Amino acid sequence: MLMKNITLWVRRYVTVYGIIMLCTFFMCLLFNPSSELPVVSFFGRIMVFTLIALLSLAVYYSKDELTVKAWWVRTVLHLLLLEAVLLPLAHSWGFWHGGTDSLVYAGFILLAKALWHLVDYSLNAKTAAQINERIRKNRLEKRN
Amino acid sequence: MRVTVEQIDRTREEELIVRCYDPSAAWVSSVTEAASDHRTICGWQEDTMHRLRLTEIFYFEVVDDRSFLYTQAAVFEAKEKLYEFERLCAGSALFRCSKSMILNAEKIDYVRPSLSGRFEAVLSNGEKVVVSRKYVADLKRMLGV
Repeated sequence: MLMKNITLWVRRYVTVYGIIMLCTFFMCLLFNPSSELPVVSFFGRIMVFTLIALLSLAVYYSKDELTVKAWWVRTVLHLLLLEAVLLPLAHSWGFWHGGTDSLVYAGFILLAKALWHLVDYSLNAKTAAQINERIRKNRLEKRN
Repeated sequence: MRVTVEQIDRTREEELIVRCYDPSAAWVSSVTEAASDHRTICGWQEDTMHRLRLTEIFYFEVVDDRSFLYTQAAVFEAKEKLYEFERLCAGSALFRCSKSMILNAEKIDYVRPSLSGRFEAVLSNGEKVVVSRKYVADLKRMLGV
């Protein structure tokens, strides 16, 4: 059980890290293609970003099962929390400067969150397909 | 395959142990189904008590500290707590699907993912119930995925 949980969280960490890296790449490509990154500190900062993003998932913690409405409320809260924490942090690390930049950066945080849910959904869709295939096979076996 | 039947006295609890190479094999599910078909639970509708076979139950749910049993088209109140019912249906097709529900895998028509990171199981009577991601692994294991 513990091993499963560790694997799950490592997989989540890698996924979020990948999404943040992808967003950063496109942001640099669009707005600052000539920038030179201090590689070690940059990757380290992205790792901290990822850790904060994962810790903020605590917003979803609940003793009871979340209803669909409660899930949406927490998803909005989570987004606001991410923006409130990551935007100032990114500013202090010099990832963005000025008003337009901040809007673009906020947009990328929103995009990263949407991507995270999309990845999650596609993984679940794959699991659901496997389960449905097995249900279908079991039914056929019973009929025969 | 060696088959052993041991007669025991009434003071001991009847028990079925299946030792097999593949728990998802068709013969294993037939044996466990046959065994669970004999297990019953009491369901109450007003003052009338009904004896229900585990195989008839679609799902067991706890709402506001009260337990309910759902069959094809009827709802019964049960005296058991969630953990007691979970213990009773060990080895059957019923599995914990969320914090407050135990679902019969045999009654699932199909499952589909939901945006909220959980799964929705559509049952053979058309009802839809939520399966938490945490418990999907149990369903997969049960079905032999």
